Order: sequence, then C-alpha cells, then structure tokens
Amino acid sequence: MKRIYLDHAATTPVDYRVVEAMLPCFHEVFGNPSSVHAIGQEARRIVEGVRSKIASFLAAKIEEIIFTSGGTESDNTAIKGVAQAMKDRGNHIITSSIEHHAVLETCKYLEKHGFHVTYLKNDKAGLVDPDEVRRAITGKTILISIMHANNEIGTIEPIAEIGKIARQRGIFFHTDAVQTFGHLPIDVNELHVDLLSASAHKLCGPKGVGILYVREGTKMVPFMHGGEQEGGRRASTHNVPGIVGLGKAVELAKETMGEEAERLTSLRDKMIRGILEGIDDSVLNGHPVKRLPNNINVSLGYIEGEAIIMYLDREGIACATGSACTSASMEPSHVLAAIGLTHDFAHGSLRLTMGRATSEEDIVYVLKVLPVIADKLRSISPLYKKGR
Amino acid sequence: MKKVLVAMSGGVDSSVAAFLLKEEGYEVTGVTMCLGVKEAGKTSCCGRDAIEDARRVCDRLGIPHYVMDFSGDLNEKVIAKFIAEYARGRTPNPCIDCNRHIKFDTLLKRGIASGFDFIATGHYAKIERDQQGYSLKRPRDRRKDQTYFLYPIRYEALEYIIFPLAPFTKEEVRQIARKADLPVADKLESQDLCFVTRKDYHTFISKRTGGMIESGPIVDVRGNTLGRHRGIVFYTIGQRGGLGISYKVPLYVVSIDAERNRIVVGEKKDLKAKGLVAGDLNMLVRRWPSLVYAKIRYRKREAVCEVFFENDKLKVLFDEEQEAITPGQSVVCYHDDRVLGGGVIEEVCPDEGGVLNGNY
Repeated sequence: MKRIYLDHAATTPVDYRVVEAMLPCFHEVFGNPSSVHAIGQEARRIVEGVRSKIASFLAAKIEEIIFTSGGTESDNTAIKGVAQAMKDRGNHIITSSIEHHAVLETCKYLEKHGFHVTYLKNDKAGLVDPDEVRRAITGKTILISIMHANNEIGTIEPIAEIGKIARQRGIFFHTDAVQTFGHLPIDVNELHVDLLSASAHKLCGPKGVGILYVREGTKMVPFMHGGEQEGGRRASTHNVPGIVGLGKAVELAKETMGEEAERLTSLRDKMIRGILEGIDDSVLNGHPVKRLPNNINVSLGYIEGEAIIMYLDREGIACATGSACTSASMEPSHVLAAIGLTHDFAHGSLRLTMGRATSEEDIVYVLKVLPVIADKLRSISPLYKKGR
Repeated sequence: MKKVLVAMSGGVDSSVAAFLLKEEGYEVTGVTMCLGVKEAGKTSCCGRDAIEDARRVCDRLGIPHYVMDFSGDLNEKVIAKFIAEYARGRTPNPCIDCNRHIKFDTLLKRGIASGFDFIATGHYAKIERDQQGYSLKRPRDRRKDQTYFLYPIRYEALEYIIFPLAPFTKEEVRQIARKADLPVADKLESQDLCFVTRKDYHTFISKRTGGMIESGPIVDVRGNTLGRHRGIVFYTIGQRGGLGISYKVPLYVVSIDAERNRIVVGEKKDLKAKGLVAGDLNMLVRRWPSLVYAKIRYRKREAVCEVFFENDKLKVLFDEEQEAITPGQSVVCYHDDRVLGGGVIEEVCPDEGGVLNGNY
C-alpha cells in the first residue's frame, strides 16, 4: 500500500543528507567538545560551526544560540528561566490560550509558585490582538510568550508587532517558533524577540535536539545545572550528532525555503478548496491567509475525528485530529476550544500537514478518498439495510 | 481476509479475544473506547491505564490500535439515564445501556462504516447461525455467562458480531493469555463501573444530581415511620444493611417511592412478588414459547415463568414468587440456551391479579 504521510507538524522524516552528515559523529568525530585534546577540539569546532550557521540563519549573534534537547526544553528554559531571574521585578506573565502545552503547562506550573499568568483570548482565526497584549501589561509584567505559528491550526501570529510593544515596555518577549523555524524566514531583530525556541525534527532533522535563542542582555537563570557548557546556561555534554544533524537540516531548509513555501501554499489552498467544496458541512479552522504553508485543518460536521483517522490510516493516509483521546491527555484540543469550536466540530477536526515529499498527486488522492469516507461515516445506517 | 475490529479494554478477556481472532486468520484491529474517565491511577476499564494496557497487547500481537472517544455518547446515552433512573427510585444497569447504545450500536456502526466486516468483544456469549437466522446463546462458561447484559443487541446486528470467547472458560482464557505471553494475563478483574468506582458511587450521584437529593422517611409496609433515609438514590430493592434502624427482625428495602421521597422497608417475605412488567423491549426471537426462563438480575438464577405481551410491554408471571424484583434492572428471557429477548423492569406485580388485570 502506498503511504501518504500528512502529519509533518508532529514530526518529519530525517533527510538522508542529514543522516549522512551525522554518521561521522558516532565513530570518527566522537569526541566530547569540552575535552582539551585534539579529538575533543575537533568535535568542538564542528559544534561551533553549526552554532554560527544557525546564528546567521536567524540574524543573531553566535553566543545567543543555546543548543537544547528540543522545543519543550527550550520553552521550559525560556519561561522558567526568565521568571526566576526576574521575580524581584515582577511576577506577571502574558501568553495566549492556544500555545503549545510546553508553554501552557510551564505557565500553570509557575502559577503554583507565586506567578500570575494572563492567558489572552485568541480570535476565531486564532490570532492574538496586539492591542490586547498592550492592555494586559501591568507594572509587574516580566515576560510575554506568544507562539510564532500554531501547531494545530497553522495561524501565524503578529509577532513583530507584539515584539515591538514588549520592547517599548522593556518586557522580555519569547516566541515558540517550533513550527516556523526552517519553514518561514526568521530575523530575530525584525521580530523583536528576546527568546525563541526551535526544534530540529520539524525540518527533516533528528529528534532530541533544538535551540533556544537568547538575546544578549536577557536575564535568565539556567534550567540545567552541571558542567560549563553553553556558557553555563545549559549543562550537559553536547549532543554532537544531533547538533550536526540540526545544522545540516537548517542548511537544506535555507536553500529551498522560499520556493518550498510557495509550492506548499498552492497545494494547501488546493486541498482546502477541494475539501470545502467537496464535503458538505465542512469548515476551515484557523486563518485562511495568515497560515503556515503546510497546514490544513478542517472540521467535518457530524463525523468523529478518530473514525476518519482510523479509516484514512487504513487507506495509507497518516494525519491527525484534535479530538479527545488521540493525544495522551485525553482532552479535546485546547486550541480548537479556544477559537470557539463547538464540541461537535472539535470532534470532527482533521489536521493534514504537508512536507517536502508531499506531491500534487497525494493531494488529488486525498481529495478523492476523503469525501467518500465522509459520506460513509455520515450515513452509517446502511449497516442495517445491508443484506436484509 | 475478513477484517475485524476488536473492542479492547486492556483486560484479559478482550486481549485474548483479539489474540484468538488473529490466530484464526482475521485481519485484526484493536480499538479502545475512551469513555472520559480522567482520574489517573484508578483501576477502571476505560481510563488511561486501560488504553496503555490495550496498546501493549496490540503491540505484542502486532496489530494496529486506535482510541476512539465515546465520552459524549456515554454521558448522553448512559450516565444521564443512570442518574435520572436513580432519581425516579429505580436501580439502573448502565452496562446494559452501554451495550445497547454504545458498544453494539455506535461502535458497531462506526466499525462497519469504516470498512470492517465484524466487530468483536471479549464478552462470554455465543452467536449461532442456522437456517432460521442468528441467535444469541449462552457460552460454555456458565459462571461467566454475560448474555444478561447483551440482550439489548438488535437482531440485525448479530451477524456483524463475533464473541471469540464463547467456547472457553475464564481459566482457559487466562491460560491462553499466559501461553501467548500477553502482558495482561494476570490482571485483576474490575468490579467497578467504567465511569465511577464503588467507593465514589455516592459522591458521583450526589454531584450529578446537583442538590436534588433530599433525605426523607423510611416507612414500613403499613406506612409507619421507622427512621430517615439519606436520599432515595442511595438505596436499592432487597438492600438489607445501612438503614440505621434496629428492629426485631431483619429489614429489607422492599420498594422505593420516589414521588413521596420514601423508602419502604419490610421483612424478607415482603420482598416476594409474583411477576413484573417490562418495557423498552428487545426481541431476538420473534415467536416465544409461553413457558420460558427469566433472569431478573445478573447474579440471580433464572426462574420458570409465563410471558404475555400487551402493547409494547412484556408481562412475566413466575411459577414461584421471586425476591427483590427491582425496577430499572432488566428481565432477560431464555429458552434453553437461547436468549429470546428482554426489557427493563417497570413495575412489580405482587400477585397474579395485578398482572392479569394489566393495571400497572
């Protein structure tokens, strides 16, 4: 059976060129970058080479890049680290209702430890209103954290505007850019961000490695204590193969980012149009234009998400739903609830996220299969007519 | 290859059901019904641990596993009725409603619509096919016989259901699980309902009824007040302890009068009744013999009775008086091993007159 993978927001296949770049780091360049000898120094040079590559990719300074184990660690480090460092100045944090759990749960944890968090309401398309951010700021606000683009509905937030507000008020600003890093151009100065989280495995890199960008002058206490790696900001022996893989993934993404975004945007719009026109009672979730090029999120009324997922999976199509129980949390998607979807529509949500291997043919196939499945699941009654 | 969707609770029975089907050559897919039980760490058949266990079993068997959310259905079709029935002074059986509305209706329909040929569960029951059609029958292991809970399956659905455990005893099922090295072979059986544990029963009902529970009088069969009850929802017919009354002979709850918020107690003999009237019927056999066996609670022995149909109701008249016939529970009728059908008990008829006059 042909397999069509449409869950790139969850993770992506590692590019074979990335794997090739990583391989020497297991046997040949196996040194510990903290070691003094030549073998260690070689590993160190490689790690620092990647750091400078990523710094230039983000228009950041070299020492502003910290290697981490991925998006979740970066979010935790940024939010807890700044909160802890700034607690004498204030205890108020502003975030939005549709952030990734790595941000929301970290904020909830901080609420139990004396911090106050404002969860801004996103509009129906998932957008944060910069004016709302402005109004939410108090004398005690120490950190604002708003994601660059949402992982479920693909909405791209007005980060530059929010960043400007934060900058004017002298408040540190963090963005979770896990979904945009390597997919959309990011310039940390144009976006006015002080902290930015990213992960390698969303751009055909390996799992278990990511970065946290921390602008020079940002007050942040370390999350991991131990050795002096990363300027004392993140202890732990460097994941050299992972870091090299991340570097290669960024290099590859940089080469094709512009045209890939264009290609995916056109496929995305074709798919969205095809679904909305081909299936009754279907709606698009998220913003029609301010949207990740690879993200399609629709709700099909009167259908259970898990049923569609199972059916599609059996047809070789892998995708996701925001319905309850599919995630470990057993809760329906907080994102779909936050943008005002009723229980029924949240249940019937379907997320298709494309990647480098996605072709026009795949889209045509999905558009052929999906309406049939929708029909079948909606008219479940044939069961009782069949053969009697 | 025929495709079958197995409802897997993470317990030994449904795990072995999946194993057996795979051995028989079916293309098997596991599904765990998420019923919205959120309390972590509790042994229940539908919580997070259950999902994890089912997943492990499916990994072991090398079959795909999915989780489907039925919490909305459970709330609407089972729990709401469970609470309403208690408030009416009845003792509902939510497992029967779950089978009626969820497992053998929504799940079944969803499975067939998704391209499966059958759905299967780990129930101890048997479906047989002959020239006359399909019949639901008791399984080999009489002690585990679960046909009482399965009578509401619609006749039309029988051809789409497989009960792979029909020819096995529980002990054999455990042995099969051990031999197959299924990670749940020695798991304890849950005695709780999916959505509430025994311990939390009262809190759950209090919360769901939201202050509708009021204490009231406990009276004897002649109407003399003997004490106070904590709310009728906490009592069931036949219940002996927990009344807080000292009396010369043991007292039992003999009826629950929701209208007047009273619990009526009496002696053991007052529990006896000749018959009952049931509604919400499901018929698995069109023509019934007039003399059948009827079971009025899962753990009760079936008894010989005569049955009459009037309008949409079934009247059952026992040869020998039965104890603690309880409205809200189901009556299920059998002829030999075959389930004829059943319904939900609505009225208790103390004597023949009540039944024959039809004055219920």
